[in-house]
Amino acid sequence: GGPSTPPGISDKMSESIKEAQEACSEDSASGECAAAWDEVEELSAAASHARDKLKESDPLENYCKENPETDECRTYDS
Amino acid sequence: MAICSAHTTTSLRSPCTTISNTGLRQNQVILFTTRSSRRGSTRHGARTFQVSCTAEKPIIIGLAADSGCGKSTFMRRLTSVFGGAAEPPKGGNPDSNTLISDTTTVICLDDYHSLDRTGRKEKGVTALDPKANDFDLMYEQVKAIKEGKAIEKPIYNHVTGLLDPAELIQPPKIFVIEGLHPMYDQRVRDLLDFSIYLDISNEVKFAWKIQRDMAERGHSLESIKASIEARKPDFDAYIDPQKQYADAVIEVLPTLLIPDDNEGKVLRVKLIMKEGVKYFNPVYLFDEGSSISWIPCGRKLTCSYPGIKFSYGPDTYFGQEVSVLEMDGQFDRLDELIYVESHLSNLSTKFYGEVTQQMLKHSDFPGSNNGTGLFQTIVGLKIRDLYEQIIAERAGVPAEAAKV
Repeated sequence: GGPSTPPGISDKMSESIKEAQEACSEDSASGECAAAWDEVEELSAAASHARDKLKESDPLENYCKENPETDECRTYDS
Repeated sequence: MAICSAHTTTSLRSPCTTISNTGLRQNQVILFTTRSSRRGSTRHGARTFQVSCTAEKPIIIGLAADSGCGKSTFMRRLTSVFGGAAEPPKGGNPDSNTLISDTTTVICLDDYHSLDRTGRKEKGVTALDPKANDFDLMYEQVKAIKEGKAIEKPIYNHVTGLLDPAELIQPPKIFVIEGLHPMYDQRVRDLLDFSIYLDISNEVKFAWKIQRDMAERGHSLESIKASIEARKPDFDAYIDPQKQYADAVIEVLPTLLIPDDNEGKVLRVKLIMKEGVKYFNPVYLFDEGSSISWIPCGRKLTCSYPGIKFSYGPDTYFGQEVSVLEMDGQFDRLDELIYVESHLSNLSTKFYGEVTQQMLKHSDFPGSNNGTGLFQTIVGLKIRDLYEQIIAERAGVPAEAAKV
């Protein structure tokens, strides 16, 4: 598995899933129900983007941004 | 009078050079030019300042798709065709949705939400509902960008669900508006030079969202299904109808090569291209206008199960003439793609193998082994071609006028 979702977003998500299930318990065709699930979708997308960002970050690349002069980071074009 | 455009080579000191290098500074440059010419008489080289520069105006591209349907992958493929990586604005809001590269700026239309997350919940409307969006502001700002003016665009923060303070957006060469409603409002639609709709079938959407969300705490198969079902009425009412206005539609469907497949791993992808759109010549397979079905696997090409099947032909889409190119199945190896590329025409590539090269460059992106990646790359090349034609025409027409 890849990196996990940042805890802040993850908590918000499980909370909004619960809220959506409650909002839909009375009337599953109501605007409130749709809006609640739409919030879940928005957070799912945000969570997935946050995971992608973590995936893209390479520890060595990050280190080399800060320390380009070190042995493990120096690159010469010619 | 000289006209300066992106392709004009001017001396380094000319005020027009800045325009050629980056589209970003053009506002300042125009101000500078006017100011200088006003007090030009006292300055040395005043005559060079009298050169009037036609400011390069951005071309506007609209990309419509539901959330979680690969808009960001498409955007990364598109910006890569123009060269250079797309990055969030430096030093601004870390939650900004904007991506900027040398040539292209991509904004997310969620930034034009008129209701924040709490507001939508109180009113019982989804983000898909036009009532949750400010189309007047969207129109004004896209229009301003098209005229070459900078804008102060709000930021919708997807993590907090709040509208954050605005960010300054400079007019780029290519301005992409992506989101749920780029073609909903007629005024905005009329500003678009090209429009694309990513149409993901319900089966595939479900499979993709399971892949994306199943690992999330508290999200189960039932809740993913409930979320899709709850949003569907608004999706069908407000988002889906926009596809009739798109110049190109990428439709993603379950494969027909495997009976009763519902894994969503093997895909059948259609590229629906409108005929008669200025600066846009649809891609074709073997013979333009014919109906063709082609299985490239055989003596020259080994394919593993379930193989690859292409189709091409004319069709009608919402009462309009279109050309449809379809790919079902997936690539296992590179030689398959170059073999396919060599049989497609009107790709708008600059050299033989450019499609394959672009796909290889991003072999880690989702869809790189099937028709989604292939057709997104092709549309990217088409947009580059469109941009170059528009710029060439703009540079040509005023030059002609200036002679008279």
